[in-house]
Amino acid sequence: GVALGAWPRLAMEESELLVGFVGAGRMAGGLIRGLLQAGKVPASNVLASAPSDRNLEAWRELGCRTTHCNLEVVYRSTLVFLATKPHILPGVLEEIRPAVGSQHIVVSLVAGVTIQTLQRLLPPGTKVLRIMPNLPCVVQAGAMVFSRGSNAGDEEAALLKSLLSSCGLCEEVPESYINIHTGLSGSGVAYVYLFAEALAEGAVKMGMPGALASRIAAQTLLGAAKMLLETGEHPAKLRGDVCTPGGTTIYALHQLEKGALRATVMNAVEAATNRACDMAKD
Amino acid sequence: AGVLAAHKITASSPDTDLPTVSGLRKMGVNFTVSNKDTVKSSDVLFLAVKPPIIPFILEEVGPDIEPRHIVVSCAAGVTISSIEKKLSTFCPTPKVIRCMTNTPVIVREGATVYATGTHADVEDGKLLEQLMASVGFCTEVEEDLIDAVTGLSGSGPAYAFTALDALADGGVKMGLPRRLAVRLGAQALLGAAKMLLESEQHPGQLKDNVCSPGGATIHALHFLESGGFRSLLINAVEASCIRTRELQHLADQEKISPAAIKKTLLDKVKLESPSLSLASASKVSLFTSKSKKN
Repeated sequence: GVALGAWPRLAMEESELLVGFVGAGRMAGGLIRGLLQAGKVPASNVLASAPSDRNLEAWRELGCRTTHCNLEVVYRSTLVFLATKPHILPGVLEEIRPAVGSQHIVVSLVAGVTIQTLQRLLPPGTKVLRIMPNLPCVVQAGAMVFSRGSNAGDEEAALLKSLLSSCGLCEEVPESYINIHTGLSGSGVAYVYLFAEALAEGAVKMGMPGALASRIAAQTLLGAAKMLLETGEHPAKLRGDVCTPGGTTIYALHQLEKGALRATVMNAVEAATNRACDMAKD
Repeated sequence: AGVLAAHKITASSPDTDLPTVSGLRKMGVNFTVSNKDTVKSSDVLFLAVKPPIIPFILEEVGPDIEPRHIVVSCAAGVTISSIEKKLSTFCPTPKVIRCMTNTPVIVREGATVYATGTHADVEDGKLLEQLMASVGFCTEVEEDLIDAVTGLSGSGPAYAFTALDALADGGVKMGLPRRLAVRLGAQALLGAAKMLLESEQHPGQLKDNVCSPGGATIHALHFLESGGFRSLLINAVEASCIRTRELQHLADQEKISPAAIKKTLLDKVKLESPSLSLASASKVSLFTSKSKKN
């Protein structure tokens, strides 16, 4: 073992950080791509494990090291991301528990598994954080929230935030917000895909070819979102800015209001959030 | 509002029994049954008759209209050009201003817009604006927007009264005495309107400011959205505006015969028009005279 005092300081230098991933699926892949692209950690410092080789090939192509042994990841890493499927996690935790020490920072990406559960299944005193990312982390435009467990301090939180900001928006929140984030942004991307599809279909109905309509729909969403984020203006104000009196936009918006789009969207976020809560209890 | 002395105001109506007549008299307004007399003693003429009656009033007072007169019509759906056309047989360059106001002028919180006609000068518009600004908000607009204004602020108080009635019902359902519920509901709307008028912020932002996460207000708003609250209001403004245009269109067709005109004016009989029937035969014409210029 290494003297307890030395490890934490070393571990905080991002470029020297040894990063491990237990589970190498799509979400983990998205995170690592972001980290590597932002130059946050060298690929050689990254070790990922998965039961089969199917996902690991892509990691090797990025320059990361791979293994089939979860314990190895824990032994050779300081920052350990847990990225397994929810039903697999308890078994994995039992497996790696003996190797987890006070030098580790364990970050769980696993949906529905609470900090309480993680802390229960890991050695007492383990620094645990829980993160809920969303799919666009894959293209470094993700929205992530994370919460800290009882033993994770400001340094660990700051480290995580600094690292993951390379994948998009990353904010610390109370754990109770994580399910809401699922409803808003985790599932939320699907709502946007649905909306984009519908926009394009409307255009196709009016005579535009589908492929072009889809690209324009996507760009419209991207542009609008960018304006929202960059201007910091209230969406209602931005909406008003687009609406010339008696013009096309206000006519269209009237249709949306008639269809109670707002309430429907609120319902969707509520339903997904509630479902996340229910699933967490299982 | 103190912009005009009561004795400088003359009002006329064929029907002297109306409660409004005695009310005006009590305020010290000069009263007459002769529209012609009123025209002669006034500089600014407010035509406050129901829209179908406008053409007949114009026929009657037309000969007495002089270049100095500013004719202000508050009749919904009656166009400047229709008034100018009627008056031009008597006066080559009639000064006409069309305005749309609303009932809260009574409490000096009216919303008024006006559009100036072909021969009305800038000064004439400003004079009207000065008068109407004393009883609320007043601004000039292009005439083609007046129907929309009717739909929004003309009818608007009715939407508000309906909302207030319902809000009070909600309060009563949850245990408040009716009077208190009405008082609180009205104050809430008054306060919100005042905040909006005095704020730079968008109403959406002001709404957000009231909605604490997971709190009571956001739960309530979700209900409003589910019921299509916003679209109902949009529908209402649209319906009122469209109806105003319809009425105007019908009025332009002038389906009422001259014989019926005389009958109406002399007999105070309800006017049956193809499009609507008047609920009352109230035909008070309020003519005001402007304060003497220095």
